[in-house]
Amino acid sequence: MPVIEIKELTKTYNETVVPVHALNGVNLSFEKGEFTAIVGPSGCGKTTLLNMMGGLDHPSSGQVIIAQEDITKMDTSHLVDFRLRNIGFIFQSYNLIPVLTVRENIQFIMELQGRSKKEIDERVHYLLDAMGLSDKINVRPKYLSGGQQQRVAVARAMASKPKFILADEPTANLDSKSTETLLNLMANLNEKEEVTFIFSTHDQRVMDKAKRIVTLEDGKVMNDSNSGVLHETA
Amino acid sequence: MLIQIAWRNVWRNKTRSMVIVVAVALGLWGGIFSDAFMQGMTEQQIYSSIHTETGHIQLSQKGFLVNHDMQLNIRSADSIKAVISNIPGVSAVASVTQLSSMASTSSGSAGIMINGIDPQQQSKVSDINRQLVTGDYFKSDRANLIVIGQQLADKLHVKLHSRIVLTLQTTAGDIVYGAFKIAGIFHTHDSDFDKQMVFVRKNDLHALTGFPQDAASLVTVLLQNTDDTKKITATIQHKFPGLQVQGWMQLSPMLQVLSGTITQMTIIFVAIILIALAFGIVNTMLMAVLDRTHEIGMLLSIGMRPSKVFTMIMLETIFLSVTGAALGIAISIGTVSWFGHTGINLSFIAEGINALGYSSIVYPSLGIDFYLALSVMVVVIALIAGLFPARHAIRLKPAEALRGN
Repeated sequence: MPVIEIKELTKTYNETVVPVHALNGVNLSFEKGEFTAIVGPSGCGKTTLLNMMGGLDHPSSGQVIIAQEDITKMDTSHLVDFRLRNIGFIFQSYNLIPVLTVRENIQFIMELQGRSKKEIDERVHYLLDAMGLSDKINVRPKYLSGGQQQRVAVARAMASKPKFILADEPTANLDSKSTETLLNLMANLNEKEEVTFIFSTHDQRVMDKAKRIVTLEDGKVMNDSNSGVLHETA
Repeated sequence: MLIQIAWRNVWRNKTRSMVIVVAVALGLWGGIFSDAFMQGMTEQQIYSSIHTETGHIQLSQKGFLVNHDMQLNIRSADSIKAVISNIPGVSAVASVTQLSSMASTSSGSAGIMINGIDPQQQSKVSDINRQLVTGDYFKSDRANLIVIGQQLADKLHVKLHSRIVLTLQTTAGDIVYGAFKIAGIFHTHDSDFDKQMVFVRKNDLHALTGFPQDAASLVTVLLQNTDDTKKITATIQHKFPGLQVQGWMQLSPMLQVLSGTITQMTIIFVAIILIALAFGIVNTMLMAVLDRTHEIGMLLSIGMRPSKVFTMIMLETIFLSVTGAALGIAISIGTVSWFGHTGINLSFIAEGINALGYSSIVYPSLGIDFYLALSVMVVVIALIAGLFPARHAIRLKPAEALRGN
């Protein structure tokens, strides 16, 4: 059973004189444990698609079914809870909470979930160990390098034990070495915890690591390495 | 953790936060100190009025205070004093024979009010004996000594040991004259009192006018605690239903009005300051929210409920305001205590403020209840001020906020 199923998804922005069709009838499904890169030129709809999958924005039409629930029909309050329980986010500019330490950034989301202190402590230590950041546990983000901050962001996304993680250009601000480290860590977690990772990226190094590549162009899926064919032309 | 985040967020932009913290602190200090100043003036006036003029409670025959008719006197004043002295909470009791008169010298004359007193008794209910600028308070046993105010002395061009002639009416209706030697001159901060009130021994006055020996015009009661005035007034009235028993609030209604008005004025004054500060707080918090649009978008994205974001912003507003208020209150407590001890000398405008019945040295004073009320007001204002930025924060759409829109 797919973790995410997207059916006939469209998104049109009417804020400009000429409507912009950011997504134009996208159909996709993602299985548990996938490590997928969504690629395409700037403005092709990658971030919009991720926002739809993450319930951060409402589509113009179509469905996003996650764990048998169509999130496009949820109200804002249900969506917030749904995101908290099911989806992890990694952002291009890390987006850690600057006033919290590494530990606090990771435990914050678990506190929002109402987890026990013991469970939180165990998970924080496990993730920081996995990310190689155990020695930075009480450090604030501004004292970390970009690569280290993004690793904390991955740990935060993993902390809530989500069904899948959406990562929007996670390596865009990182150097080669940090990118390599980050991708290896994420690939490790993907293997060990069977967490589904879906990236939007321009980065060839991410594409090289990805098990599946979905190519978007003008809001349509132009290629999906799972099927191996160019399958949308309408 | 929300409290922790909110507190740390307050100090993310230290300069911006300190500007509003200092503004709140200075605003409140200004409000509190000016209130303490006014309260101090009023309390001093009330204290002075009680301890120099009226006492806490006065007994008189009904109608006496209207026309000072000498026939409206209290008989058996000593036995009444004895009864009142035994009431718990009463500090001292004295009787006064009060007659209106004319004081004359070769240089001029003035309408006055003569107070016939027993100096020893009177010094327990009135502090006139401690406000002498020259002479003494009936130390000599000589007959026909008089203690007058500085203002009256200036008006009549007399000094210590000068003689003045009092023109009086006897109980039989005849006019009599008495020559009195000035034994002391007092100066209070109430220039009207200094112009009108003179003190002589009761025995001298009674001998001159034929006033009954056991009678008095007024019985003055001083209490241990001003707050007991109403209760003890009622007790005395119950014991002496035929007499008029009045507390200082009835005897000096202006003081009571002033006391109440000062409190109301103060609340309005501080409220205006707080409202002005609220706009500053709104501005600061709105800037803070706009600066963190991206971050708030992230918080909403990862699953922080809007209600929690709202609470976070409200907490930040409260922390910011309460920090400023705590600083302002601390400075105020310090300065009010300091000047409450040393006093603020306004002698350069003494003439003007004495004419209004105020002392030229003001001791600012403020009760703890005002500080508590103020703290509540600050929290309320902070809650109101936080509403707009907090509402703005929760109306952000995660996707747009993450784009930085």
